[in-house]
Amino acid sequence: MKQAKKTSEAKMERAYAKAHPKKTRLSAGDVVFNIINHAFFLVFTLLCAFPFYFLFINTISDNDMVQKGQIKLLPHGINISNYLAMLNVSDLGQAFLVTIARTVLGTALMVAASALVGYLVTKKEMWHRQFWYRFLVVTMYFNAGTIPWYLNMSMLGLTNHFSAYIIPAVVAPYNIILVKTYIESIPAELEESALIDGAGFFTVFRQITWPLCKPILATIAIFGAVGHWNSYTDSLILMQSSPELKTVQHRLYEYLNQTTNLQSVMSSGGTMATTAMKQALNAKVLKYTISMVTVIPILVVYPFMNRYFEKGIMLGAVKG
Amino acid sequence: MKDPAMREKSAEKVYYVQRIVTLLSLFFIFFPAMNPARISGLIGRTLSLFTSGISHSSLTSEMGRAFNRGWLSEGSIWILFFGAMTILIGIALCAASACMSLGNLKLKNLGKGFGLGGAVCMCVGLVLIYISYTQLLGSSKPDRVEPSFPAAFFLYVIFAVLLLAASLLIFFLLPKADREDRYEIESKYKLFLMFLPFAMLCFVFAYLPLYGWRYAFFEYSAGGTLSMENFVGFHWFTTLFQNAATRQDILRVLRNTLVMSGLGIATSWLPIAFAIFLNEIKQSRLRRVIQTVTTIPNFISWVLVYAIALAIFSTDGFLNTMFGGDTNYLMNASHMWLKMLLWGTWKGIGWSAIIYIAGISGIDQQLYEAATVDGAGRFQKMWHITVPGLLPTYFVMLLMSIANILSNGMDQYLVFSNARNKEVIEVLDLYVYNLGIQNGIIPLSTVVGMVKSIVSVILLFGANRLSKSIRGESII
Repeated sequence: MKQAKKTSEAKMERAYAKAHPKKTRLSAGDVVFNIINHAFFLVFTLLCAFPFYFLFINTISDNDMVQKGQIKLLPHGINISNYLAMLNVSDLGQAFLVTIARTVLGTALMVAASALVGYLVTKKEMWHRQFWYRFLVVTMYFNAGTIPWYLNMSMLGLTNHFSAYIIPAVVAPYNIILVKTYIESIPAELEESALIDGAGFFTVFRQITWPLCKPILATIAIFGAVGHWNSYTDSLILMQSSPELKTVQHRLYEYLNQTTNLQSVMSSGGTMATTAMKQALNAKVLKYTISMVTVIPILVVYPFMNRYFEKGIMLGAVKG
Repeated sequence: MKDPAMREKSAEKVYYVQRIVTLLSLFFIFFPAMNPARISGLIGRTLSLFTSGISHSSLTSEMGRAFNRGWLSEGSIWILFFGAMTILIGIALCAASACMSLGNLKLKNLGKGFGLGGAVCMCVGLVLIYISYTQLLGSSKPDRVEPSFPAAFFLYVIFAVLLLAASLLIFFLLPKADREDRYEIESKYKLFLMFLPFAMLCFVFAYLPLYGWRYAFFEYSAGGTLSMENFVGFHWFTTLFQNAATRQDILRVLRNTLVMSGLGIATSWLPIAFAIFLNEIKQSRLRRVIQTVTTIPNFISWVLVYAIALAIFSTDGFLNTMFGGDTNYLMNASHMWLKMLLWGTWKGIGWSAIIYIAGISGIDQQLYEAATVDGAGRFQKMWHITVPGLLPTYFVMLLMSIANILSNGMDQYLVFSNARNKEVIEVLDLYVYNLGIQNGIIPLSTVVGMVKSIVSVILLFGANRLSKSIRGESII
């Protein structure tokens, strides 16, 4: 893992060094350019970071001040009662369970399937391998459309059913291509020697290919997980009569769009919800807090996984 | 027929029948129109045999009243449910047998039992369904229970008889295997069998939806049924052009789609500029931080982008509290296209730049050194070395975005849309969603989606051709 980080940084270093062969001294024009350039990136970085900061300070500040719009750049009266109160929004807890379940299960199955299928399509012995590989890959380039997709899901009985989140996403052609390309870059001798020693295909896959593929599997896992965590259109379209299966993003979307009914959301709380707490939580803070809760996992995970994300987009340039 | 090799050979021929019929029945269990268990009008028309056999609750979803009033005994529906389930089990057994038939004689011998058991299961299931049907006929209120004999029942009877005959034949034809033999499959079939479940998943979720295009040729409303009486041919296609209101809608939506995609394409060079100028920053730590922070927006959902938009731009958002005023910038429909472009750029630019940053690291350093020796300035090097070096990558990205010109996705536009800006924000994908899912006008929205899909595929192949002729490389 350290190695991966090093190479990623080294790549940036190399990029810089390439465009800037040995500099001696800065001219006035260089100084002006540097100032403008730094200023631009400073402003843009702030534009990207500030909204999250603003949401965050509003959720940990005194709720009265938030309501009056007095929290601008710094938090006041820091407390975490809003986050504690989130525990009492029962349908939100349910939405979180659903979303976590689909993220974990969906990602795990997708990664396992991509690894296995990616391995299988590299095996020249497979019956009509070329045909079956194309059979998978072609599906990336056409799409029946939203309505036929919806009708198909309802025909299969997957509407208003949790498995609708998981099963259709198991076979992901793009990820299969990534794994296949990666396996093809591994020296084939490792596998061949195991096969000669009498190991079966599945044993070779489990003992040799799977461990060697871990870097690429980590990359597709992280993309898959983010996709599952962020998706809400499938919840919107497929779970119309099963509110208990809505995802967090779908709930957030609803909260953002409804202004009047927010207080009643709180009344569905459990024992911990005191009246004071309910009143303190006004609509605006509730929106901010839910937003924050949905984005925190990504903000926490992202900086550590950055290199996997980057590897993902680089691999994206590789074709099947 | 004494010779074992001969017998195995003729069994092999019978196996083809078994495999094909099994595959067909595996296929048909997902089609509601081919449901042999739909013996009553109270059973949903969208219910397939598969659903009927695994979900008792969806089978009985419309029967609550009939149970309460005693028109229908719960027992007969349970018989129906178990009948459907037994057929499913039978088909699964037949499928297992068909898989084993790819193996050696020992494995085939194991599989023949499965095949026979499966065929018997199917027959039993069909008999159970028939029993349930006769009980329905004897109901106190036949007009309420609406018994109707499904034509698909005969299809399954044919399947079951064929499978039974085939498995019986195999059972007696197949010679015994040696006791010492091991279960084996040729590796080409072994690999294929491992692959098969995924191919089936892919078929069901990527190819089967195409079958839904048939709705474009029928008069259909949600919950209804398709029959030849409802067949309207190309009526919905001509409606697109002949009905003035629809035509106007389509034109408006197309305009929005093309403008938004066009703006996206027109600004698609921005990530290159971003990458090049980011690369001009000397401190590698700082570059790293900037890159990390600016890519974060790419990984949050559009719902969260909208939440941020609310926090910053709504009446009580940051802008208004910071600088005074009570303008709700989000309800304002002016400059909507530009705003959408800006949100898209905010979300995507840092991420799109990464591929170009990597591209810069791949450019030959000697070019820069030579340029420096020749006295080229910073901007000259950018323009004459870096930009040309990144153009091949940019070209691929550009072609892909041209191929996707009709598909802007609906996420972004759905979250930002409201009653006031609908006119200018509704893109094709959102229109299809609103028309089909929200308003339940299924045939027309299928037509729109269908035309969009076909045009997109044509565009993609066009772009690929272009790429091949210009760069000698394909993009797909």
